[in-house]
Amino acid sequence: MSISTQERLARIRVNAFLYFRADWLTRLIDIFGSAEEILKQNADTLVREAQMNPATAAHFLKDAFSVNPKEELEKTEKYGGRILVPEDAEYPQSLRQLKEAPIALYVLGSLPKENQACIGMVGTRKITPYGRRAANTLAEGLAQAGAVIVSGLARGIDSVCHAAAVRQQKPTVAFIGTGIGRCYPAENRDLARAILKHGGAIVSELPFNKPPHAFHFPRRNRLIAALSEIVVVVEGEEKSGALITAKLALEQGKDVLAVPGPIDSPQSRGPNRLIQDGAGVVTCVKDIIDYIPEPELFKLQTPPDAKTQADEREKKLTDVQKRVWQHIGSGQVTADQLVEELGLSVPQAAAVLFELEVKGLLTSEAGLYGKSKF
Amino acid sequence: MLASVRTCALKGIDGFEVTVEVDISSGMPTLSVVGLPDAEVKESKDRVVAAIRNSGFDFPLKRITVNLSPAELRKSGTQFDLPIAAGILAASGALSEQAVKKLENLLLLGELALDGTLRPCAGVLPMLISTKPKDYTAVIAPDNLLEGRTASVPFITPRTLRDLADWLEGKKADEAVQITYIPPAQEEAPVLLDFSDVKGQTVAKRALEIAAAGGHNVLMIGLPGTGKSMLAKRFPYILPPLSEEEALEITKIYSVCNLVGKTVHLLTQRPFRDPHHTVSDVALIGGGTNPKPGEVSLAHNGVLFLDEFAEFSRATLEVLRQPLENGQVTISRAKETVTYPARFTLLAAMNPCPCGHLGDPHKPCTCTPVQISRYRSKISGPLLDRIDLTVNLNPVAYGDWNKNSEGESSSQIRARVIAARKRQEIRFQGSGTTANAFMTQKQIKEFCPLPQGADAILEAAMRKFGLSARSLDKVLKTARTIADLEGKEQIENVHLIEVLQYRPLDRKGVPDL
Repeated sequence: MSISTQERLARIRVNAFLYFRADWLTRLIDIFGSAEEILKQNADTLVREAQMNPATAAHFLKDAFSVNPKEELEKTEKYGGRILVPEDAEYPQSLRQLKEAPIALYVLGSLPKENQACIGMVGTRKITPYGRRAANTLAEGLAQAGAVIVSGLARGIDSVCHAAAVRQQKPTVAFIGTGIGRCYPAENRDLARAILKHGGAIVSELPFNKPPHAFHFPRRNRLIAALSEIVVVVEGEEKSGALITAKLALEQGKDVLAVPGPIDSPQSRGPNRLIQDGAGVVTCVKDIIDYIPEPELFKLQTPPDAKTQADEREKKLTDVQKRVWQHIGSGQVTADQLVEELGLSVPQAAAVLFELEVKGLLTSEAGLYGKSKF
Repeated sequence: MLASVRTCALKGIDGFEVTVEVDISSGMPTLSVVGLPDAEVKESKDRVVAAIRNSGFDFPLKRITVNLSPAELRKSGTQFDLPIAAGILAASGALSEQAVKKLENLLLLGELALDGTLRPCAGVLPMLISTKPKDYTAVIAPDNLLEGRTASVPFITPRTLRDLADWLEGKKADEAVQITYIPPAQEEAPVLLDFSDVKGQTVAKRALEIAAAGGHNVLMIGLPGTGKSMLAKRFPYILPPLSEEEALEITKIYSVCNLVGKTVHLLTQRPFRDPHHTVSDVALIGGGTNPKPGEVSLAHNGVLFLDEFAEFSRATLEVLRQPLENGQVTISRAKETVTYPARFTLLAAMNPCPCGHLGDPHKPCTCTPVQISRYRSKISGPLLDRIDLTVNLNPVAYGDWNKNSEGESSSQIRARVIAARKRQEIRFQGSGTTANAFMTQKQIKEFCPLPQGADAILEAAMRKFGLSARSLDKVLKTARTIADLEGKEQIENVHLIEVLQYRPLDRKGVPDL
């Protein structure tokens, strides 16, 4: 089924009204038969036929006519993207089945195919070293296994997950809380470019240049949940966007998994609570893959067990590197500590840290080195 | 009647000879000073009148003209009081003919109190050194005695204007003339603040050792209370001792600023200047209507420590670029241009982020990446390019703090620094370069060949840490210093890797791709 160009332009207008849930907009289209038809109405008929409140009706028309759909299309195409409606074949089936399916979807890059397993990974913006390690290890393993990481391009866990996939040169999908013409947070611009470069996608239902707003983010979370087979919560406070995504996923009948964390870490309260409530526990990539319903659809390569992988990695380290690796444990160290506690010289400590960091095993921030993998 | 007397004035940190001509003629009683005098020279008139009267002379009630020659150069300072007073006494006939003759062989420098007492004035040392009056004796205030000795010229130090007149008249013995030559520079300046006082922070100490050995500038980034200022204050004591020439240069600058104490001949400690972050750019760099050396010149041959580096106004920091590049400051005003030496090691310290807790294991940082990036961007790229070593300081764990083992003492470190400096001295002989940090492109090519396997290291560093091609030169210069510290002829890969540990401030704060 396809729709006329006029109807597509009309859909883009209707989609610009953000104060209605997507399913209400769909209902509106059903009542009048098409988006084109809605736009021919005046506020009075909208009130009469669709039982809209007069103020809302006026607001709706104002918003709908405030966007220029032709311009939206042109700008999107200039960025190499397109605007999908549910009638398009490329529109993801899993989103189409959603009750609140977006009536227009701005897409840059390529969306995952039917036979690619999508795994939603969400978490806090205030990441801890533990969360960074967990998110990086899991996302990297999933990407290697052939899964597509779906997340929200926010700071913290989201960025780490996307970056892990990009480093493996694997596709990853970001549902963002702004129009696709913007990047929020701005420091993730390079990451967004890298996502597109490696066959991933940046997706939003918001008008092209829409700036970020607090209410955009919970709204896009339903799309992360919908596209994913399962949702993994890495870290999250008790009232966080990550838990909203988990709740939405459960409502959509998806499985939610959680990465357990220290009981005294505020960022692990969310996932620990989910586990109490019955969510699956994630300790390794395999735990996630085992949860995928109908795994035969996706042909995922089960990665080697995390412990074996870690042992392999450790075997390749030199003696002094091994000592440092074990000394770091699950915490962070400074070069000073290696000197004081392991008796290394400053050049030795510098050399070990350099080599481990170049290998991608350590990350550093403000002089603190922590493991980037388990 | 006419009389002329010799004195000196300052331009930059050098002096030039000035002839004070005094003419007394009949007419309305006035005293006028011509020859581009500054405010303090004009005020000298009132002091001179009072000093002459209170010394028991009659002040001539006639038309008195004082000319300061060469007339086209601006003159400032209070040293003109004494020569003007002596000139008036000579021209008015208050002195005998024999005394006037004796006066011709004197060079007078001194401020007068209203009762005729001689007071010290600024810049005596540089003025005496640059004029080197071979044929005449200098007259300076007793409080400037040490500066006179350092300049090693014959001089006398009368207590008052009357004493000087008595000496000229032969009523006092000639033995008042003193010449003392500079004592040889001290072997080793005492270590007043020792590195062993600082617990832990081995990496930062090592970075400072490298900085001392190669003349590199350092940026210390660390949480409050991690010992940044403690380390900085100890840094001058691991620098090699001052040469006689360097000591003299510093003493001249301090003399111009009237900062030489009454007890030292020559400053033998390397200066340590730590201006507050609200310092104005003129105070930092020098200048003013009557140009005076700024903090950068007072730190010449020593250390300029800028704590809270990111809190300085951006314009103030930018003025540091010229002295960091050339080792001197040129101050141009409409009426004159002066140059002050300013070759110092810059030690800068700042917090890692606006809230100060980034990297704190106990307290989470509350800054967003944008805030951090904005905070760090206050330090401009060109300025960061002149900083070779950046080091992170983290809180010292109690276990390390409580350790009994003392760290190395400053004199141990200094011994290595001196040895490394010796190697550089031999390497750069005759080229004008004094330390590795100041190597030219050509010298980098000549003295810093890359060892085998270095390409892979540098490529990885560029990919992983976003090191720019431009900062590679800094890496090479610093690696050269590390090799010198270890007594190696060639740079080795371990040296390069160690330098990469001190890589510049990361401004973006996002996961690497």
